[in-house]
Formats: sequence, C-alpha cells, structure tokens
Amino acid sequence: MLAAFLRRLLAVAPILALVSLLLFGALRLLPIDPAAMSMPPTATKVEIEAARQAMGLDRPVTVQYAIWLGQTLRGDFGNSIHMRRPVAGLLAETLPATIELSLAAMVIAGLLGLGGGLGMFALRDRRGEAVAETVTTLMMSLPEFLWALLLIFVFGVLLSALPFTGRLDPGMTRPVVTQFLLLDTLLVGRVDVFFSAVRHMILPAFALGVAFAPPIMRVLRASLIDTYQEDYIRQARLRGVGETRILLGHALQNAILPTLTLMGVQFGFLFGGSLLVEVIYSYPGMGNLMVDAVRNADLPIIQAVGLTYCVVVLAITAGVDGLVMLLNPRLRGT
Amino acid sequence: MPRWLRDTRVIVGLSILFAVLVLALLAPLLVQSAPDEQDLLSTLLPSAWAKGGDVAHRLGTDSLGRDVLARLLYGTRLALSVAAIAAPGAMILGTIAALLAGYFGGWVDWVIGRAVDVWMSFPPVILSLILMVGLGTGSRNVILAIVLVDWTRFCRVLRAEVLVVVRRDYVTAARLVGFSHLRVVLREVLPAVVPLLVTLLTLEMGIAVVVEAILAFVGLGVKPDEIAWGQMIADGRATIYQAPINLLAPVAAIFVTVAGFNLLGDGLRRTLDLRLVEGRG
Repeated sequence: MLAAFLRRLLAVAPILALVSLLLFGALRLLPIDPAAMSMPPTATKVEIEAARQAMGLDRPVTVQYAIWLGQTLRGDFGNSIHMRRPVAGLLAETLPATIELSLAAMVIAGLLGLGGGLGMFALRDRRGEAVAETVTTLMMSLPEFLWALLLIFVFGVLLSALPFTGRLDPGMTRPVVTQFLLLDTLLVGRVDVFFSAVRHMILPAFALGVAFAPPIMRVLRASLIDTYQEDYIRQARLRGVGETRILLGHALQNAILPTLTLMGVQFGFLFGGSLLVEVIYSYPGMGNLMVDAVRNADLPIIQAVGLTYCVVVLAITAGVDGLVMLLNPRLRGT
Repeated sequence: MPRWLRDTRVIVGLSILFAVLVLALLAPLLVQSAPDEQDLLSTLLPSAWAKGGDVAHRLGTDSLGRDVLARLLYGTRLALSVAAIAAPGAMILGTIAALLAGYFGGWVDWVIGRAVDVWMSFPPVILSLILMVGLGTGSRNVILAIVLVDWTRFCRVLRAEVLVVVRRDYVTAARLVGFSHLRVVLREVLPAVVPLLVTLLTLEMGIAVVVEAILAFVGLGVKPDEIAWGQMIADGRATIYQAPINLLAPVAAIFVTVAGFNLLGDGLRRTLDLRLVEGRG
C-alpha cells in the first residue's frame, strides 16, 4: 500500500521535470532581456552586459536551464523584475491565501455536489429528473468568473450584504504567524478579525465552489444508479432495510469512490480557476500575483508561480489517488 | 428524422445557436451606431426603457459613450469566430495524437501519454496565460492558445475509444487484407469515433467562448481595437454602480451562447449514446 503510494509519487517526478523544462523553454523564447529589465532605466550598456554575465545569460541555454533548475530546487526563485523583491517571499505570502480560498471553495463544491447528486438521484424516473438535468447543464454554462461577477452584483451591489474586495475590513491589521490568515487570527485570538476574514471569503469561495459542483452532482447520481443495479442492494431490500438506510448506509459507500476521483480532478481545475476569482475579488493570492506578473512580463514570477500551480495540482492528484486506494479494498495491496 | 434531431436539448441548443449566429451576422442592420463610436456627451446612459434612456441606444452606453448593444452584437462575431476556428483546431490536433497513440501503441502511445500528463498538470487558465505572454495579444493568438491548451481534452477521451475500436474484428480484417495504415485509420477507425468527436467538439466550442472572454477580461486576449465580451466585462466592472447593464449584458451573452453549446452537446451525447468522461475546467 505504502509502496504503491510512493511509486505514484515517483511517477510525478519526471512529469515535474518536463513541466519545468517546458516553462523555462516557453518563456526563454520571448524577446525579453531579463538583464535589461532587472536594471534601472538609466543603466548603461556596460552595466547591463555585466548583469547579463552575472545572471549567466551569456552562457548556452542548457547551462542557463541547469542554473535555473538548481536554484529553483534550493528554493531560490530569483528576484521579481518589477517589484524588486525575492519571488520566494512573494510566493510564501500569496500561496497560503490561495490554498485557503481553494479549500473553502472545495468544501462548498463538495457539499453542493454531494447534496445535489443525492437530490438528483432521489428524482430518478420522475418528472423532475429532466428539469434537474437541464439545471445542471445550465449551471455548467456559467464558469466561475461569471458566478463571481453575478454574486458581486447581487450580494455586493444590490443588497450591500457582503464585502467583495480584499480579505479584511479597512483599518484592520492582519496578524502574521503562519501566513494562513484564518488560522493566524484564531491563533492570536482576534475573533473579530477572523469573522471579517470569513465574511470576505464567502462570495469568492461560493463563486468558485458553485461553478465546480455540477459535475460532482452528475457523477454521484450516475454511480448511485449503477450501484443500485447490484445484488446486495436488492438483498438489503429483501431483508427489510429501509430505503434511506440502503441509500446512505449501503449504496453511498460504493458510489462515493468514482465521485471522489472526480472531486480530485475538479479540485485541480478549481485551484487553477481560483486565479480569475482572485482577480475579480482583489483577493491577495497567487492568481493576482500571476496576472500582475503576466501584464508586466515579470518572468521570474511567471516561472515560479506556474511551477507552483503544477506542483499543487500534481500533489492533489496524487493525494486523491492515495485516498481512493485507502478507501477501496479492491485496490489495497496492489 | 435522425434520432438526435428529435431530442429537446438538441433542438433548443441549435435554436439558441442559430439565433446567436443570425444576430452576429445581421449586427450592422440591427444597430445604427458603430461599436467603437464614442460619444463623450452621452456616457453611461441607461437602457432605453429606463428613465433617462435614449431610443437610439437600446441597452444604453458605456463609460466612453459607446453603444452597448452594438458592442454586444459585434462581440458575438468575435466569440463565434474564435469558437468556430479554435475548437476544430483543438479537435484535429487531439484526434491525430489520439489516433497515433491508440493505433500504433508502444512507444508512440507512451510519448503521447506523457505529453498529455505534462499538459494536464497545468491548470488550463495558467497554461493559456503563459502561452499568451509568449504569443502576444490578438485574436489569432487567442485561437492558437486554445488549440495548444485544449487538444488534450480530445486526446484523452478519444485514445481510450480508439484502443477499443482497433481491437475489433473488422479493423483486424482490414489490416490482414493489406490496407495501408493510413487507410485503416481513416476509413475504419476514424468513422467509429465520429459521434464522440462531434459531441466533444460542441462542448469545446462553448469552452472556447469562455476562454476567449477570460483572456480578454484579463487584458491578454484580443487587441484593444477588437470588440470582445471579456473586454466589455472588464470595462463594465468599473461602472457596476452607475450602469450595471454594461456588466450584465455581456455576462448574459456568454451564458446564453455557452448554454446553447452545452445543451446541444448534452443532447448529442445522450442520443448518440456515448460514455463521456465528466469534467470541465
């Protein structure tokens, strides 16, 4: 079991190596001189040339990649060209915020997805079934960034019920212990700041969660319908077990496995989708960092953030695979 | 009538898309103002039926006094052209890769499989942003970015299907008769996966509309002089309090168009009886 899990992790390593090669290659082709961009506009040609040599830009591309990879593996992502700060520090500030948002959104997507899936299953062979299916199709036509805008319009502008910019009310200072804002506010015992942070997260997390829930609903419904064909469900019925107990106690256990696999895939997509939601809600996470870097052609940030997104997505996939293995007795011991 | 044309979803989806297409084509006849014509004396007008509205601007004007309806209709042209070119492009690239991988197997399959793995480890939004940095803005590059990001959607699903098809007796028979690989692939294998391809293509066109809007919204899509829904959303966001229709109109346009593609794709999937992997992003 553990060996199988480790094998999965090992399989990820070459993918990451290729991803880094691709990122480096794609961005190295740009007609942008990182040396010139890292210097003040008043720098002379000689100074820029010196910077080029210091950065290794006069060496062959393969050597440049080796230098970049070596530094990256040691956690040194270089300096932001635009903000003139180490990229590692920027990542350490923004990644926790993105993780918090994605986790909150995933919980919402999971709850809506499982609830909706059970509801759609309860409607099977009834007249409401077609309606429910059409509703999921329509929901899938609203991507996360449209949800984000609509929620701002309804709850932020029309009702003025919830805040929709940033993470805290103006005037509040954020305590820093672990960089995870929700955790930090609780660690230092600032309940008021904690609730302000939660209120600020409701709209973005809901926009992201609701956009990724419909596929979960559909897969749960489909796999429940499959599971109900099995003999053990009929036998449970013959033994006189109640319908609710059959559904929640017997069928759900098996039907949840394909749903979990899909939720892992959805979590990966959701993590990427958080970028747009962050931009719309001015949420200080990795997505905003990335979009700013893209606008300023800030290569060190683009490379580091791109790589970080990939690492997280691969980690999520490996983690969910491991979880499914743990939960599915048939896969154990293989 | 074929079975798929009797499905309600297919009919509704096709009707929506037909209506959107007609609106795009007839845009110059439906509105008098040009979409980029500024009128700084009448900015942020409300829609014609609201108080203070002007009949000349049925959906009002934006912060530069440009007609919202005109921009909406001309934006439809861009959205539909991107969908109509990018989705088939991604389909062709993905189908070639899937046919090669599934038909030849062995190291070809391995290489293509790893390429898909690498692509899939990038969230699609991130990959398209990085590509746009490299390619530069412009509708042609938006199309290229969508093709380069989304070919894996076709490749993954199709490869599994091709693997099943190539083991069928009639394919073996065709190979035993001595037909060339190309002929077997094009005449025997490809027709068997066409229903799946059509469904995937329809869904991909909806995705292309969304991606085009996203890139324009972030400011990395089309050039500033091209009229795009994503650009309208970015502008409309700034005036959400004064003239929310600037934001809501393009949001509704994207929703209706994508819903058209999704309803059509859903109906086709059901009537053509395919096992499709659920998932989006």
